[in-house]
Amino acid sequence: GAGGAPSLRRCSTRAAAQGLGGPLIDRLIRVDHAGEYGADRIYAGQMAVLGRTGAGPVIRQMWNQEKAHLKKFNELMAAYRVRPTVLLPFWNVAGFVLGAGSALLGRKGAMACTVAVEESISDHYNSQIRALMEEDPEKYKELLQVIKQFRDEEREHHDIGLEHGAQA
Amino acid sequence: LRRAGWWLWRGRAAVRCQLSPAQRPLQASAVLRRISDEQKKEPLTSSSQQQLDSHSTDHQPEQEPQGPRPSYTGQGGQESEDYESEEQLQHRILTAALEFVPEHGWTAEAIAEGAKTLGLSVATAGMFHSDGSELVLHFVSQCNTKLSELLEQEQKLVQLGEAEKKHTDQFLRDAVQVRLRMLIPYIEKWPQALSILLLPHNIPSSLNLLTSMIDDIWHYAGDQSTDFNWYTRRAVLTGIYNTTELVMMQDSSPDFEDTWRFLENRVADAMNMGNAANQVQSTGEAVVQGLMGAAVTVSNHRITDWSGLE
Repeated sequence: GAGGAPSLRRCSTRAAAQGLGGPLIDRLIRVDHAGEYGADRIYAGQMAVLGRTGAGPVIRQMWNQEKAHLKKFNELMAAYRVRPTVLLPFWNVAGFVLGAGSALLGRKGAMACTVAVEESISDHYNSQIRALMEEDPEKYKELLQVIKQFRDEEREHHDIGLEHGAQA
Repeated sequence: LRRAGWWLWRGRAAVRCQLSPAQRPLQASAVLRRISDEQKKEPLTSSSQQQLDSHSTDHQPEQEPQGPRPSYTGQGGQESEDYESEEQLQHRILTAALEFVPEHGWTAEAIAEGAKTLGLSVATAGMFHSDGSELVLHFVSQCNTKLSELLEQEQKLVQLGEAEKKHTDQFLRDAVQVRLRMLIPYIEKWPQALSILLLPHNIPSSLNLLTSMIDDIWHYAGDQSTDFNWYTRRAVLTGIYNTTELVMMQDSSPDFEDTWRFLENRVADAMNMGNAANQVQSTGEAVVQGLMGAAVTVSNHRITDWSGLE
């Protein structure tokens, strides 16, 4: 089976709405997957507008990290058999529009968007870390590691956004 | 007193908890053949490996009761050998009742007869709804479990290199056929079962069972989609399963060959539709591309204005 997948013995009455890790993990992975997907689209939108400017490389670097995050959640989703959010097509367009729209305001606009989004994402990851720690830190060790790492990287993006937005 | 009766019967009944593992490597298609062979030999009992041997205790007097069997919700494993939960008992009764479905339908009568074979009073049927809901749901759940086990076995064989990995369309066809064949012993009364499953108070459970089964089939077919395809594939397969099931109700051809041909065609359609679904996705991409183009065009105008400042 997939690496890192829990070896739970499913019974036939497992709710199809739930993944293998139980309701907490199910929601967590779905939301995080949606979030990273949205972030990926936001940066794509920003790149579409500012890709060829001085801000391009910075945005691209952050975008690449988001792609890695999304890849990880794709893997977790398959491993835990979690269903993706039904709103994906919506996030696809909405994320892109947010990214492109903020970038049209210029580099400052793009960075302000980044700062706001990343602030929000790291708060979100922090509360998930708290929830998992309260639940069972041993059981969710691997997941906690992943989320902590991602939270740190999102905070970095936040700080980069501040730094670059502050520059003229 | 009733409890003493249960104790007696536990001592005498042989309870098989799981499918016995294959003694030798089976080709994946042989698994399919085994199911249809089993059904040809024992039309009344093929659907359940957990059927009590109540009529053959004479032949197997030394048979020991097995350990606690998995219950409907998978909690039975924690029970000790001596204690049977009410849930486990209910499952035993319902399983025993299946034998009487061809004659009595999915009814309290069948449940009462099942209870009788376990040496219980027919009044135990009072534990259940009078409309036969639990009996049908129990049966469906059992079939789904069996299907999952078979698919799991098949997957292991493929992983061990002892069986070929099937193409998706073949896989889906085989999985649906195996699952539908489990209905054959009860086919006369299946329309009744379907109407019971559609009763409003049963819809949550029956829908849940259906979606779990479809999700299982796609999982073992190797679906790892994390995008909207996840939904598309499941919706499509559900449609295929339901329509094939309905065709099967009306089918009088030998060994339901018309039904399997119908199934083959529907799966083939779905494979072609897969291309259409990709096209829909591409349309989404195209929209995004259009937006990108618009954004770049607009931004080009703006950036030339600011180029000195960037």
